[in-house]
Amino acid sequence: MAGVVMKERAGVRLGRVGKGVRVVVALAGIVLLVNGSVRASDDAWPFGPMSQYAGMIADDASITYTRITAQTDAGTTVDVPLNIEGAGVARAEIEARTGEIVKNPSLLQAVADGWARKHPDQPKYVKLELIRDTTTLVDGRVDGDPVPEVLATWQVRK
Amino acid sequence: MNKVVDWFTPQIALARIAWLRTILYLFVILDMHAFVRDTRLKGEHPGLYQPLFLARLFELPKPSVANTTTLYVVLIVFCLIGATNRMPRLAGWIVAPAFTWWVLIGMSDGKVDHDHLALVVALWVLPTVASGTKGWNFTWRRDVSPYADQTRSEAAGWAIRCVQISVIATYFLSAIAKLRGAGWTLGWPGSAILTWAIVRRPHPVGEWLLQYPWMLHVMQWVGIIGEFCSPVILWLKGRWQLLGALFFIGFHVANTAILMIHFLPTVICWLAFAPLERIVPWFQQRRAKSRSDRDAGEAEDQAEDGRQAKEQAGA
Repeated sequence: MAGVVMKERAGVRLGRVGKGVRVVVALAGIVLLVNGSVRASDDAWPFGPMSQYAGMIADDASITYTRITAQTDAGTTVDVPLNIEGAGVARAEIEARTGEIVKNPSLLQAVADGWARKHPDQPKYVKLELIRDTTTLVDGRVDGDPVPEVLATWQVRK
Repeated sequence: MNKVVDWFTPQIALARIAWLRTILYLFVILDMHAFVRDTRLKGEHPGLYQPLFLARLFELPKPSVANTTTLYVVLIVFCLIGATNRMPRLAGWIVAPAFTWWVLIGMSDGKVDHDHLALVVALWVLPTVASGTKGWNFTWRRDVSPYADQTRSEAAGWAIRCVQISVIATYFLSAIAKLRGAGWTLGWPGSAILTWAIVRRPHPVGEWLLQYPWMLHVMQWVGIIGEFCSPVILWLKGRWQLLGALFFIGFHVANTAILMIHFLPTVICWLAFAPLERIVPWFQQRRAKSRSDRDAGEAEDQAEDGRQAKEQAGA
């Protein structure tokens, strides 16, 4: 590191205004953050509540997990990767719209189309099943294997 | 009153800001490819876009291929410039809003992550600090390397303090959210939340832990107590502060193992607590020491040579 010169100089102080404005900004930020945590939702990002894994789950809760399986034109059955790089849809999106999909299974066509568009050289989906796995807790312990339930079936249109 | 004001504006060496600029602007580039990496894909498929409050407030346009690609290029270019500490304020004022928008789009499909607060705050406060040389400086070589600049500045201290507060807020407010999530009771640590999380994101470490719910409860208690006490770290000094930081870094290692949630954008901001300004002096001292050792060694060698010469002469 050529050219490095060490200098111990006196501190550079802020003017009254610069200091005042900075302290006010910092305090305002803290107020916004606390307000977000106490009252707001994720919508207020970055001032929303830090609510990841902040929920309460009872000791006898049923834990559900929604997934989609596909039969392919290669004769295999696969789990559909529910992310934007896989089938172009996130799992959260599918979970949020489960009710709509059950009423109208043709919405699953978008999943098959998304997969085919992103992975043209891979086997195509011919039949999709929306499945909900339910794991039951007894006294806070997992009680047996998850029970799958087929919520919707869709024969993919070519 | 003055004490409170001074707490927000401690005098900290400008070198720490320079190091943070380099590290954080490079981290943003990593983040764009490894963590919030679907912003451009959202530009291609804006169907799921649900704009968050800030996007609605500023009437930001819906993501498109054109605007997300522009954002990408602008961020890469100005992060690289900012990382060199050349025109750091100009680069910083461009990166801060651009990256905020980038993350805003990335989190606009119904799922919001909470690991970006400190990083986003850091990007907004870094450009408020003027570098050691006043005004525009077009000379390539600087008489003081920004990484060695020991000028202590209140402006730098304020920026550092803001990042530190944001890091700590990430933990403390998580504890608040847990109280709120349990209807403002202390029910969370005794609940089956970690079991729930592991069942939904199964992997070997977690599945082994599922057999021991009491261990998960202990972890929940340790987590929430740690989060509650985290503000203490702002007032700790030296080794004790390091210990506090290591506790939370260990917390993240455990979270990564159990939940596969790494929180790296927050972890990297712990560096705001580190005395990075001491790196160059430490390095120079070491080099000076090894040079003086070498000089001493050479002196001995010369003495040895001299003796040999004398002996030869005497032979």
